[in-house]
Amino acid sequence: MSERILTCSAALAEALHEEMRRDESIFILGEDLVAHGGVFGQFKGIPEAFPGRIIDSPISETGIAGCGVGAAMTGMRPFIDFHFSDFLTCGMDELCNQAAKIRYMSGGQVKLPMVVWCPDGAGLRAAAQHSQSLEAWFVHTPGLKVVVPSEPADVKGLIKAAIWDDNPVMFFQHKKLFAKEGPVPEEEYVIELGRAAVKKEGRDVSLLCYGAAYYLCLEAASTLREDAIDAEIVDLRTLKPLDMDTVARSIRKTHRAVIVHEACLTGGFGAELAARIQDELFDELDAPVKRVGAKDVPIPFSPSMEDFVLPSVADVLEAARAVTYR
Amino acid sequence: MTVEIRIPKLGLTMTDAVLVKWLIGAGDRVVKEQPVCVIETDKVTLELEASGEGLVHPIVEPGRRVAVGEVIGYLAADETELEALRAHHATAPTGPKETPAPKKPEKIRGATAMPKKSAGRGRILASPAARKLSTTLGVELKEIFGSGPGGRIILSDVQRFAETMRSTPFAGGYDIATVAPETELLNVAETIAIRGVRKIISRNMMLSLSRQAQLTLHTEASAVALRDMRALFNTSLEEGQPPVSYNAIIVKAAAQALRRYPMINAMVDGRDIRIWKQIHIGVAMDFGKGLIVPKIRNADTKSIQTISGELNDLAARAEKQHLVPDELWGGTFTITNLGNWDIDHFTPVNNFPESAILGMGRIVERPWVRDGIVVPEPRISLSLTFDHRIIDGALAAELLKFIKDRLEDTRLML
Amino acid sequence: MSSDKQTLLEIYRTMVTVRRFETMAGEYFAAGQIPGFIHLSIGQEGSSVGVCSCLRKDDYVVTTHRGHGHMIAKGADLKRMTAELFGKKTGYCKGKGGSMHIADFSIGILGANGVVAGGLPIITGAGLSIKLRKTDQVAVAFFGDGAANRGPVHEAMNMAAIWKLPVLFVCENNQYASTTPMHYACSAGDLYTRAAAYDMPGEKINGNDVLAVREATASAVARARAGEGPTFLENVTYRLKGHYEGDPQKYRTTEEIEIWRQKDPIEHFGRMLAQKKYLTKKHAAQIREAVQAELSEALAFAQNSPFPEPGDAMADLYSNP
Repeated sequence: MSERILTCSAALAEALHEEMRRDESIFILGEDLVAHGGVFGQFKGIPEAFPGRIIDSPISETGIAGCGVGAAMTGMRPFIDFHFSDFLTCGMDELCNQAAKIRYMSGGQVKLPMVVWCPDGAGLRAAAQHSQSLEAWFVHTPGLKVVVPSEPADVKGLIKAAIWDDNPVMFFQHKKLFAKEGPVPEEEYVIELGRAAVKKEGRDVSLLCYGAAYYLCLEAASTLREDAIDAEIVDLRTLKPLDMDTVARSIRKTHRAVIVHEACLTGGFGAELAARIQDELFDELDAPVKRVGAKDVPIPFSPSMEDFVLPSVADVLEAARAVTYR
Repeated sequence: MTVEIRIPKLGLTMTDAVLVKWLIGAGDRVVKEQPVCVIETDKVTLELEASGEGLVHPIVEPGRRVAVGEVIGYLAADETELEALRAHHATAPTGPKETPAPKKPEKIRGATAMPKKSAGRGRILASPAARKLSTTLGVELKEIFGSGPGGRIILSDVQRFAETMRSTPFAGGYDIATVAPETELLNVAETIAIRGVRKIISRNMMLSLSRQAQLTLHTEASAVALRDMRALFNTSLEEGQPPVSYNAIIVKAAAQALRRYPMINAMVDGRDIRIWKQIHIGVAMDFGKGLIVPKIRNADTKSIQTISGELNDLAARAEKQHLVPDELWGGTFTITNLGNWDIDHFTPVNNFPESAILGMGRIVERPWVRDGIVVPEPRISLSLTFDHRIIDGALAAELLKFIKDRLEDTRLML
Repeated sequence: MSSDKQTLLEIYRTMVTVRRFETMAGEYFAAGQIPGFIHLSIGQEGSSVGVCSCLRKDDYVVTTHRGHGHMIAKGADLKRMTAELFGKKTGYCKGKGGSMHIADFSIGILGANGVVAGGLPIITGAGLSIKLRKTDQVAVAFFGDGAANRGPVHEAMNMAAIWKLPVLFVCENNQYASTTPMHYACSAGDLYTRAAAYDMPGEKINGNDVLAVREATASAVARARAGEGPTFLENVTYRLKGHYEGDPQKYRTTEEIEIWRQKDPIEHFGRMLAQKKYLTKKHAAQIREAVQAELSEALAFAQNSPFPEPGDAMADLYSNP
């Protein structure tokens, strides 16, 4: 398969172009989308190519999320842009009490195919209310699916799967990664939800990660190699449904696991994954499962403090060394 | 009032014992402190005494392994109680009656502080993967030294141990069969199960030789001063006091040497070297039932007479198998004397996890050169084995010389 | 909007069905056969039936925790409704939703919602969907005076207005939000006046006059189908029973309830039909009997239906295409 280099935002735009051309039921709703093609350029070209199918909303997150629900249950495939994941709190009833539950409560009478697309993450000095990683809340809500890609090729393949999934899918993309470049296949393809990827094979420790944390693990693995520690990197990609088989295969090989995410440590997705690992793979473990995440405070504004709070390559190295007893 | 007879905890890490035999018959009347049965732990065989007067009702049959705290029998106050006990608990067979041993003042010493992090002591810390692998390989965790935090046995420890086992053929302790089959030319005269003390020795020897980097320095000392000192002690003995042995003097010299060279009074613990505060010297003894190494605690603080007295007491009880596990534990150095069997130089094996052992040979008259003339002189061979991982040759040699000097001029021990 | 005898008698019959259903539900709840809680709409039939009688099968409706009336008025199957209330496998939602989440998507009912005002943003979304698909369907949200004060109502109305969505915001003002009187909780008194703030026509109607409700609704529906945008209708009515079955109702007086009992919408309509000679006493009795027979059948169906298997709880979470 031949590839070219695209940024994460270009990969997203390309996927949307392809799917919106395919199916008229897909439309995009959110704030500040039409004038610039989205604040991150993620919808570049779409207002021109699909007039009337990308709609600017007033600042009404509750209404936006609710519209998504209403449209999804009446034959459309809404793509809801939530601007910043922090604002999901303004639509929690619509997402967690309605979107997640209506199919179930109706006894399966209806499907709700909607994508809730949220830029998230920290490191941009945007402070506490514009920097969060909230994926754990939605993993904790039965009825939703949760996707967190890291590389452009994952973005493109997974967003298609999310659009075509007949269930509400929370799709998080780190703000700092919009400009991140990576190879993307020329041909069209889909990456099904619930499939993790072993992006680097290794023998000594499994680094389980997703989103921006993938890049921390990549750098850490390179440093660990100098210490003769051969790290394996598993990019989870979808948190729910989780590809536990790939995780298990990795841990059966390395016997040591470090989970890395940018979200804060307590109650983060790492806690769920660590619990499952010790439950299902207890006898494979040569060391306790370690988690790396942000410190448990709101993200502070001043750069040195933000950098202190966020997980770093050094944190990953420390955890990897601890579990390999080096 | 019916009293339970339970297996006592006789050592910090004791978890169980084998009930070897009952010394009385079911329903027999015993008096306080009368021995009622014999139990065997990993370290020692000893007799359990009745806590009071009563009729014994045994409920566990000989040969069974019992846990610490488990009830093996009851002491009934009278026939009525005995009947009630018989109704509730089946009487165990006790085998042939034996005459009860004479009352002796058994002192069960309290548990001493043991190094918690040595292999095979206390709760064994091991990662789940290490446990699983050790089960798969049929290797006991307590035989493996843990290099992880807190002495945790990790996968690589098990893997390394298994490698060592594979490349070191030996018999005893494991199920690795390397024995020739029986044919008409080769029949088994006797089969002895490896258990108890033999199993421990077998295992410790292997551990010691596989885990440490051992080598032995040999030297010889003049035994003149040593002989003179012993004679001096023995001429001033009091009524009933047993004679002072060479071992006692050598223990003292060794204790002083270890004070001077604390690095040798040390052990490897995972990634660290632990240098002990106390000096507890074990003296190897053999009474035909396997090697036994009782300890002289805080040997550096005791006089030669005290050490000698203790050694005699320990030896006497060891012969009767009346030692308790804690008297056999917690040593930091060992001396072993094969002089009685005319042995000179030999290569003793470290008493794992100790880092050094001093072997003594016989005292024998040899030609020696003094001031240019050949003279007959009583000489004694000294052999020091040490763990080169943490003790370098020069240091070991210094220690050996220090001991040799004090044996050659005993005034230096004052 | 047709007002011939046939149509009016059908409306009458539907109102009686709602009343009898709610009464039966109350009785069986008190007898312990209905788990959880129920919220009856006895006294509000003028609004529910009046509005729904103007709708097509493919028009959308969202309703509230007090939604049995809207369900029946829109054409729901009584057997499946009763079975759902009883928590049976044969219920509309297979026993998974119960009274507050009952739904029938085949007749456009996008569900009752257990979150007060939860349905409004959803109905706006349905309206958006209609507009994007370019059909002439209409989307109707029922909500109460209590819901009117929630944020989502504001957002939903504003969005429906700016996009001219084919939505009816039907506020059934029954004077009380649980124990809180409307005149306390709602600033500026009336609710229909809020519509003006959203550049949307608003009207206050006697909710107990089913024909008045029909008239107002018909205009609003016509507007919507013509693409002229949303309308706000405030149907003033009263619930004759408590907020929930078992409500001690200390927040209102028996005198007040009696006053409103005199304004019973079914009796009012029945008198009107009688005056027009459309409905005799005998005919009214026949209708009552027929309705009762239908309900008895529904009740028997529900009582004889099996409960779901406990493990059925794990199904219907995701849609797997």
